[in-house]
Amino acid sequence: MRFRSDFPLPDTDWPPTREFWAAAARGELAVPRCDACQRYVWYPDGTCRFCGSQSFTWTTVTGRGRLFSWSVVRRAFIPQLAADVPYVAGVVAIEEDPAVRLVTRIVDCDPASLRADTPVRVVFRPLRFAGVQGEVTAPMFVPCRNRPFGI
Amino acid sequence: MAADWGFPSELEDVAGEVAIAGVGEADHTKASGRTTKEIGAQAIERALADAGLTPRDVDGIMYTPFDGQQFGADDYRAHFGTTHEMWVSTAGGGMVWAGSAPHEAALAIRTGRARTVVNVFSVAWATQRADMVGGPGEVHASELFKQNLEVPFGWFPQPVYFATIARRHMHEYGTTSAQLGAIAVACRRHANLTPAAVLHDKPLTLEQYLASPAICDPFRKEDCCLISDGGGAYVMTSVERARDLRPPVVQVAGVGVGNSRTRVYWSQQGDFTATPQVFAAPAACRMAGIVPADVDVLACYDPFTIVSLMQIEDMGFCAKGEGGRFVEGTALHFDGGRLPYNTHGGMLSHAYVLGIAHVVEIVRQLRGEAAAQVKDAEIGVYGGYTGPQASTLVLRRR
Repeated sequence: MRFRSDFPLPDTDWPPTREFWAAAARGELAVPRCDACQRYVWYPDGTCRFCGSQSFTWTTVTGRGRLFSWSVVRRAFIPQLAADVPYVAGVVAIEEDPAVRLVTRIVDCDPASLRADTPVRVVFRPLRFAGVQGEVTAPMFVPCRNRPFGI
Repeated sequence: MAADWGFPSELEDVAGEVAIAGVGEADHTKASGRTTKEIGAQAIERALADAGLTPRDVDGIMYTPFDGQQFGADDYRAHFGTTHEMWVSTAGGGMVWAGSAPHEAALAIRTGRARTVVNVFSVAWATQRADMVGGPGEVHASELFKQNLEVPFGWFPQPVYFATIARRHMHEYGTTSAQLGAIAVACRRHANLTPAAVLHDKPLTLEQYLASPAICDPFRKEDCCLISDGGGAYVMTSVERARDLRPPVVQVAGVGVGNSRTRVYWSQQGDFTATPQVFAAPAACRMAGIVPADVDVLACYDPFTIVSLMQIEDMGFCAKGEGGRFVEGTALHFDGGRLPYNTHGGMLSHAYVLGIAHVVEIVRQLRGEAAAQVKDAEIGVYGGYTGPQASTLVLRRR
């Protein structure tokens, strides 16, 4: 296996997730929604697993959600993450459909104060990696503990 | 939680048709410079010797295609100097397939496609890690959805996924680090009693576990499996033929396979803190005509402590969510624990050979030949796991 030279940056041209990264570059969080049954289908799939339709529209969502779970990563498992540790990698359930869980980073937080199901909101930050050329804007999340009604 | 996130595979009833007549382990080591195929060959040599069979007696071979390096039929003929035709199945190997291969082999033996089948699995991931190739991380990083939606956020490799699952399990059920630690300590104690275990000479107390730093909260190093060179093999044949080989006969009593609809995408699984054992174990127990309380010794594919805990719950040894309290103290120890578990040390402390050594250990337990022997073990179970799938293999001494 040979990885792209910009690994672990995402390939923003890869068709199944291209719209996700294009939306992030505009400062939007977008998820594919089935045109037939209106369900969000995540991860992107050519066929809706609820109704079998093959027609989707990438739909901008509010960017509000709940922190489903997370890990405070203290060891750099790959050298490209050496400058990032410790960091909080986690899973956020979006407000529109909690079954849609986004893998993300939790930023601007005290990791020790994080609690499951805490309300979070999206922010857009550059992904940069040690020794890797380029950057990609990505949706990350911050806790909004003191603002329970969101942004 | 509605169990609609997965489903059992429909398997034919093969209860009591085949036996595991020989088992072998290769040397389990840290980086050794050996190749995957060399390790596989050694495991098969030892399994044949254990069964009292010659290379010509084996006319079927099972392995996994997943890394393209496994010991297959051509390797078999070249290594053992045979020329005979062999039934070949790529539904074998370690992980889930270490548990489900006996079902496939039983069908081949029933229909006369093979008489005696070896299932083999080996890895040289400790050696390959030095070159930054191979290994479990690379397998995941090369999956494109992971590469584009998970890895960029640093939700990678597997310790991070399963730390996230453990955190949620703690939230939902009150599971504690000390309870995860009890699993690591039990496995280490068993490894300390098992000469072939990589961590044979490294004791671990719960106090040491709790005092060790987190590498990815809530996981410490001791929650995570080893990276090893090693492997194993086991030989299957009809129960009738096995009666002419070394006693006692260890029968395949039940096999089950469960599947997650969200496949390798752990983040999306409907029940985030469960495994497809929910679907596999009931089917295997039904085929075997047993209930979990009948099981004398259990070995589960254990990449992380939380995967042991979830499988113990999902296989029905306790109610969902009670796994933490169930495993506390010495509950999993071979000598008097309520559920002797990974009595060779598992992937945490014996070797990361992806479950094949677990099946070898269960067979030895049922023969009364294990290093940390459970008294009078008659029914033993292997729980296989990949994430997308789980398998349950029920073995019984007759």
